[in-house]
Amino acid sequence: MTQTIARTGGAPGGDSNPLRAGVTSSRITDPCNVVFFGASGDLVKRMLMPAMYNLRLEDILPANFGIVGFSRCEWHTEEFRVEMRKSIDEFSRSGPAKDPLWADFAKRLSFIPGSFDDKEAFAQLRAQLEANDAGLGTAGNRLFYLSTPPSLFGQIIDMLDEAGLGPNTNKAGWTRIIIEKPFGTDLESARALQAEVSKVFDEKAVYRIDHYLGKEPVQDIMALRFANVIFEPLWNRRYIESVQITAAETVGVEERGGYYDNAGALRDMIQNHVMNLLALVAMEPPVSPTADNIRDEKFKVLSALRPMDRNRIMQDTARGQYDAGSIAGKPVPGYRDEPNVNPKSNTETYAAVKLFIDNWRWADVPFLLRSGKRLQRKNSEIAIRFKGIPHRLFGEAGDSIDNNVLVMKIQPEEGVSLRFAAKVPGPKMHIRAVSMDFNYGTGFGVVSAPAYERLIGDAMRGDATLFTRWDAVQQAWEQVMPILETWQNTPDETFPNYSAGSQGPASSDRMLATVGGEWRKI
Amino acid sequence: MIPPALPTADIESIRTELAQAKQHITTMNFIVWIDRESNRDWVIQRASKISEKHPSRTIILDASPGRVGAHVRPLDANNPNHQSTFIDIGVADMTPQDACVLATSLEVPDVLTVLCWSAESLGGDTAFRCFFEGARPVAVVDSSLGVRDATTILELAQFYKEHSDVSLRDLAWMRLHLWQDIIAHFFDDPALREELFSIQKLRIVAGSDAEALYLGGWLASRLGWSAVAHDEFADRNGHRIVFEHERGGQARRVYSVALTTATSVYQGSVDEDDASVVRVWVEGANERPVRLVPVQAIDTASLVERAALEDGGTDEIFETALRMVQTLIDG
Repeated sequence: MTQTIARTGGAPGGDSNPLRAGVTSSRITDPCNVVFFGASGDLVKRMLMPAMYNLRLEDILPANFGIVGFSRCEWHTEEFRVEMRKSIDEFSRSGPAKDPLWADFAKRLSFIPGSFDDKEAFAQLRAQLEANDAGLGTAGNRLFYLSTPPSLFGQIIDMLDEAGLGPNTNKAGWTRIIIEKPFGTDLESARALQAEVSKVFDEKAVYRIDHYLGKEPVQDIMALRFANVIFEPLWNRRYIESVQITAAETVGVEERGGYYDNAGALRDMIQNHVMNLLALVAMEPPVSPTADNIRDEKFKVLSALRPMDRNRIMQDTARGQYDAGSIAGKPVPGYRDEPNVNPKSNTETYAAVKLFIDNWRWADVPFLLRSGKRLQRKNSEIAIRFKGIPHRLFGEAGDSIDNNVLVMKIQPEEGVSLRFAAKVPGPKMHIRAVSMDFNYGTGFGVVSAPAYERLIGDAMRGDATLFTRWDAVQQAWEQVMPILETWQNTPDETFPNYSAGSQGPASSDRMLATVGGEWRKI
Repeated sequence: MIPPALPTADIESIRTELAQAKQHITTMNFIVWIDRESNRDWVIQRASKISEKHPSRTIILDASPGRVGAHVRPLDANNPNHQSTFIDIGVADMTPQDACVLATSLEVPDVLTVLCWSAESLGGDTAFRCFFEGARPVAVVDSSLGVRDATTILELAQFYKEHSDVSLRDLAWMRLHLWQDIIAHFFDDPALREELFSIQKLRIVAGSDAEALYLGGWLASRLGWSAVAHDEFADRNGHRIVFEHERGGQARRVYSVALTTATSVYQGSVDEDDASVVRVWVEGANERPVRLVPVQAIDTASLVERAALEDGGTDEIFETALRMVQTLIDG
């Protein structure tokens, strides 16, 4: 049998260099500058700069590159270099930085101190980028990374435009922008932010980052579905009873109390991470693995989500807030006692939602999404529960023949497991469920590179496959808005309603009972 | 068919032990051929490294004098995450054909088989060839393992001529990818591309001859040169190109390359203080400042892993380079 091969574009380096035949390189072809706004912040120190350095160690960064930090902090370039070396020494997966590669990396780092409304600072930024183009050969290509609080996104984009750093004024090369989540705090603010973004940047230049999508097991969802023939025929309403998507954390709000108290689990996790997982599980096969073909399919699924019935929101959703309890034997405070949290807060730290996708493949199959903090175990997974057997042939009295379940494990375990029925050895026909497990750690023995390395590299290459397009963001907001509004208008008097270290609130179990199932144990 | 040199009881005990081994996942059969006691620990260490990463049924066939008998063991009994199973068989008293039949009978069906040939020679008409009768493993050899580098390459060229449809990977060739990329990168710049056609001299310093010959053969085959002597090529217009290669630096590694054209010298050289970095620069009319290139994953285990993952059949670029090297050696 022949297979058709999707078109994925040409190899880097061009065909006209006769030495390039068969000599591909993972190095990014285009030279470029990367500008980190919020460069003195935690994200840059812990994740982004170590990611850049590791991309350099792996010879993935282009031959000519520059990195510019921009922040309110009063550093100068030399201090920035010292601070970045410290962060790489502490957080890089490859260990402390060492010469000669560090010295070479460091000389490409520069820093502009300034507030995000300071025209002079943005003028300096432009001068630095032009100096890098001339001195480091970065060829006018620019990638701006907004790792600041979301409230500053619009302002920074305006200032970039005003300083002549937008794509329309950059005729020499390309200009792209990476925007951290959350993209808006509700539908209206997301649309307002999008209006700001689209005034300056074309959609193709906007990379909305959701680091969940850079995780290997998330990418493996597509491989499992579309690189195997055995699952796809069963991947529909005829054989699947329900789909559970869980993103459970043991951590509380940590230092993010101020932000989280205005966000909650629905905005922080369900609207973005969990909706993205749903789209990957439920989408149709894309015609090719290109960014737009995949994102088209994801958008179609989100568009087919049945709108929430405002009269049934209390039955079709559940929310919770953690009380004091214990995690792994250690006592932890309740949410309302966390730093920077309103002691009378009505913010949910747990959210569960029942959704349906109204299309031919998924009609009437419940998609059950949940996410929460301070739960018993850290566990993110997608569980596909298949329908029961149509007719029971085997099994002694008392044997239950459990439904098959396929679990895609995302974190902390990364892998796939399949539960199926088997005969217990012996003279009788006893049937028991057994589990067959594949674990990335033991299956391939590799430590996945952090998601940020993959995603920054993709943005520099211009590959938007793992970034969220505006239409999908908007669709996800439209889906959760009725829930957000209902929850805001009807404070939950039972809060706090689950103990830290538990499986979540009882209301979540009641929600599930309406479709005759129960949650998988976290 | 059970090879006569290993008693039936031993085969059965291997199978019993295999059945008891707690191996959950197998990504490949990994057959390793050893012919010298002095190599054994080194080869097994590298095979273990690959098997740690890719759960395998690893079958060591050790033909070193005096090596007989067999046993099965997990890769690392103390680490439950290591799922590979090692079958260590002394085949000194078997014919290569019998050893091959035995190995094939112990493979896990339906997964890739990689044959890693750690012997200096391909063994003339017998040992190596046995593995290609019927089955089609991905074969990994290393023509820079021994001192008789040129002989091994010639054996390989002869084998490849007769079996051009096999997936054959030479580690000496695979190690060159970094250097091929470094050289290609000079001429990715369209402004410098014409320089490719005015090369007058190619100088390579490497720890083993195989790498230098392959790199010269690759460049010559890509640019349409022909070998006119051991140390000389001619381009399409008949202009002579001097080819100098000498031993230097670490074994099985290229140390430096210099391409001299009419106007410039394009150079790369391993950093004196850090062997994991190559310094790359251009002198002369097309001067370019020094650029640092990290050396990535050219250890044996990583290369064998790449060979297994890139099971893409034949490699036309390799084949043409190999033919060029053969012509060069033949003079």
